[in-house]
Amino acid sequence: MDPARLLGPAQIDVLAQLAVATILLGGIYALIAVGLTLIFGIMRVVNFAHGEFLMLGMYLAFWTFALYSVDPYVVVFVSIPVFFVVGLLSYVLVMRGVIHASHNVQIFTTVGLSVVLQNVALVAWSGDFRFVRPWHLSTVLRAGSTTFNLTQVVAFLIAVALTISLVAFMKWTHAGRVMRATAQDRDAATLMGIDTDRVYRLTFAIGIAAVGAAGVLVAPLYSVYPTAGLQFVLLSYVVVVLGGLGDMLGAMLGSLIVAAVEVAGSYLFGTAWKEIFYFILFILVLVFRPAGLFGQRGAETLGV
Amino acid sequence: MPRATVTIIVATLAVVLGGEPAAVRGQSPAGEYKIGVLEPLTGPLAFEGKRHLEGLEIVRDLINERGGVMGKKLAFAVADATDPTAAASEANRLIAREGVKIITGTFSSRLCGAASEVAARHNVIYWESSCVDPRFNKRGLKHVYRTEIDASGFGWYNVEFIAKHLAPRLNLKPNQLKIAFLSEDSSYGQGVTESARQRAKQEFGMQELMLEYYNWTTLNDMTPTILKMKQLNPDVVHHIGFGNDAVLFWRQSREQNFLFKALVHAGATGYGGGDFGKALGNDANGVFALLEPGPGFRLEALRPEGQQIERAFREAVQKRTGSYPFGAHQLAGSGLWLLKLVLDRAQTDDPEKFRAAVMSLDLPIGSTINGWGVKFSELGQNANERVQHYMLQWQNGQLVTVWPEEFTTLRAKWIPLGSWDQRK
Repeated sequence: MDPARLLGPAQIDVLAQLAVATILLGGIYALIAVGLTLIFGIMRVVNFAHGEFLMLGMYLAFWTFALYSVDPYVVVFVSIPVFFVVGLLSYVLVMRGVIHASHNVQIFTTVGLSVVLQNVALVAWSGDFRFVRPWHLSTVLRAGSTTFNLTQVVAFLIAVALTISLVAFMKWTHAGRVMRATAQDRDAATLMGIDTDRVYRLTFAIGIAAVGAAGVLVAPLYSVYPTAGLQFVLLSYVVVVLGGLGDMLGAMLGSLIVAAVEVAGSYLFGTAWKEIFYFILFILVLVFRPAGLFGQRGAETLGV
Repeated sequence: MPRATVTIIVATLAVVLGGEPAAVRGQSPAGEYKIGVLEPLTGPLAFEGKRHLEGLEIVRDLINERGGVMGKKLAFAVADATDPTAAASEANRLIAREGVKIITGTFSSRLCGAASEVAARHNVIYWESSCVDPRFNKRGLKHVYRTEIDASGFGWYNVEFIAKHLAPRLNLKPNQLKIAFLSEDSSYGQGVTESARQRAKQEFGMQELMLEYYNWTTLNDMTPTILKMKQLNPDVVHHIGFGNDAVLFWRQSREQNFLFKALVHAGATGYGGGDFGKALGNDANGVFALLEPGPGFRLEALRPEGQQIERAFREAVQKRTGSYPFGAHQLAGSGLWLLKLVLDRAQTDDPEKFRAAVMSLDLPIGSTINGWGVKFSELGQNANERVQHYMLQWQNGQLVTVWPEEFTTLRAKWIPLGSWDQRK
C-alpha cells in the first residue's frame, strides 16, 4: 500500500507539508551555498574546506550558547565580522599562495585545510555531538494542518535576505562590479588597474563570513561535531553547479530544486534514494547545461 | 608567503594534529604485559571510540589492582583506527612494531572485520568487545573472539521485549501489533533490523507496515518519512538511529504531531547515547533502547562475584567520569575483564592454549560486569543467552533500566506514549 497513490483531503495536507519542508530545507541549503558560489564563481577556487567553516560557525553558536547563554540570533550578527576576519586570515595564510596554481594544487590545499580544521576541532573540543537548544527550537508555528519550525523559518528568511543583499552588492556597488570584472577575465581586469589580489581577499572573506553565519543559524537544527560540515558540503556543490557558478539567485533556486528532489524522492521512494535523484539531476545538468540551469553559456570556463 | 612554505606548514600541522594521541611507544619495562588496543580516536567514530578507550583504561587499572595478568602489569599499546584502512594498517603496526600477541578493540562494525583479518593472518589473538557485525564470527578465523552478542541478538531481544512486555501492556496480542521499521544503513542497523523483522513475523506474526533504510551522514530532513509513517499509523516504531538522525526523527515527529505507542531502539548509538538526552531534555521521555544495564539495575540480582566486580567497576567509572557507566564503558570494560578471566586460566598467550581456555570457560548469567555470563561457541562467539541485555527507557533526562523486571527496581512508563506534551 503506497500512501502517495491515494488522493483525498489528507493527501492535500501532506502535499502542503511536503512543500513547506522543501522550502525550509531549501533555505538551509541556500544559506550554505551562497558563500560557496561566491568563492567558486569569482575566484574559480574549489573550496573543499567550505563545510569546515560551516562547522566552525556551528561551534561558535554552541560555545556562546553554552558558556554565556547567548541566543544564536544574536550571535549571528557577531559571527559575520568574526568570520570575515577568519576568511581574511585563511586567504592570506593559505589561499593566496595557491590562487594562481593549477586546480589540482588548489584542491589538495583546500582538502588539507579541511582536514586540519576538522582535527583542530577534534583536539580542541573532542568528538562529542553537541547541541544548541534555544527556547525557540521547540516552537512550532501552525497554519491549518501544516507546521513550520520557527528556527527553520528564520533561517530561510535570513537566507533570502542574505542572497538579495549579496546580489545587490554585486550589482550596484563598485566593489561588486570589480569582483564581477575579475571573475570574467582576471588578466583584463589586471590590465584595467584592478588589484585582483585584493578582490580575491575580499571575495574569500565575504564567502567565509556568509558560511560562518550559516553555521550559527543551522547549529540549533543539527548536532555540532567536528565533521558536521561534511553533511552539507557535497550537496552545496550540486546546488552551486545547478545554479551556475557565481550566480547568487541561481544558488537560491538550485537549493530549492535540490530540496524538492530530496523531499519528493524521500517521500515517494524512500530516503535512501534521495541522493541518487539529485546526483542524476547533477549529471544531467553537467551534460546538457554545463554552465548551470541559470548560468551564462560558456561562463564556466571564464577566467580559468 | 611562498607556496612551498604554506605546503610545509599545512603538512606539518596535519602530521602534528593527526597523529595518534595516546600511543605508548618503545620497549616495555620488565614486569609489563602489553596488548594492542585499536579504537577510532579521530574522525567520525571518535566520540564512541574514546569512551571505549576510557572503559578499557578503567578496567585495566582494576585488573592491575588485582594482580594484573599472568603475574604482570597489564599495559596498552594504543592505536587510532579511524577507518577500515587505518584499522588494518595499525593492526599490522601493533603486531610488527609493538610485538603484541593479543589485540582488542574496536567500537565499530566498520573496523573489526578489517583489523581481525590482519590479526588472524599473523596468528595473533583478536578479542572483540563491541562490534556487532553478524559476519564477524562466520569467517572461519580460529583465534578471533567476540564477547558481545551480534546485531541479530539485539533484534532478538528487541522483539522479545515488544512481544512479551509491550504487547500485554497495550492490551494487544503480538499478532495485532503493527510495526514500522526504520534504520540507518550500516551493517549494524541492517543486522538488527533484519533479525527483528524475521522474528517479529515468523515467531509472533506481527504486521510489518514499512521498512526504510537511510544513510545517517547525509540525512538533513526526516519530514517526508514521518509524513509517510503518519499515514500508515503504526503501533510501534522500531528505529535504529546513529546520531543526529535519532534527534531529528524525534524532534520532527513532535513538530508533525506524529503519535505512536512506543519507539524501540538497540545499541549505544542514536537514542541509546547520552547525547540524545542532552539534545532533547525531558522531550526525550519514553524512548526505549536495548543496552547494557543502567540506573535501577539491581546488584542483588547478580551472583556474589558478579556483584563485586560490577560494584568496583561502577565506582571506578563514577570516580573518573562523574557519571554512571555509558554503554561504551560497559562493553569495552566487560570485554577486557573477560580477557583477564581467560588469561588467568590459560596463563599464556599461545593461541592454541588460549583457545582451549576460552572454550572451557563456562560462567552463568550474573557472574561478571553487566551481569553477563560466558559460554563461547566454536565460532568464538559468546552465547546470546549468557550475554544478558536490558531495555532502558529515557525518563526525565536519564536512561534507566526497566526490563527484564527481575533485574531492576524501576518500571517502564508512558505505555502507550500519550500526546507529546503529556510525557512529564
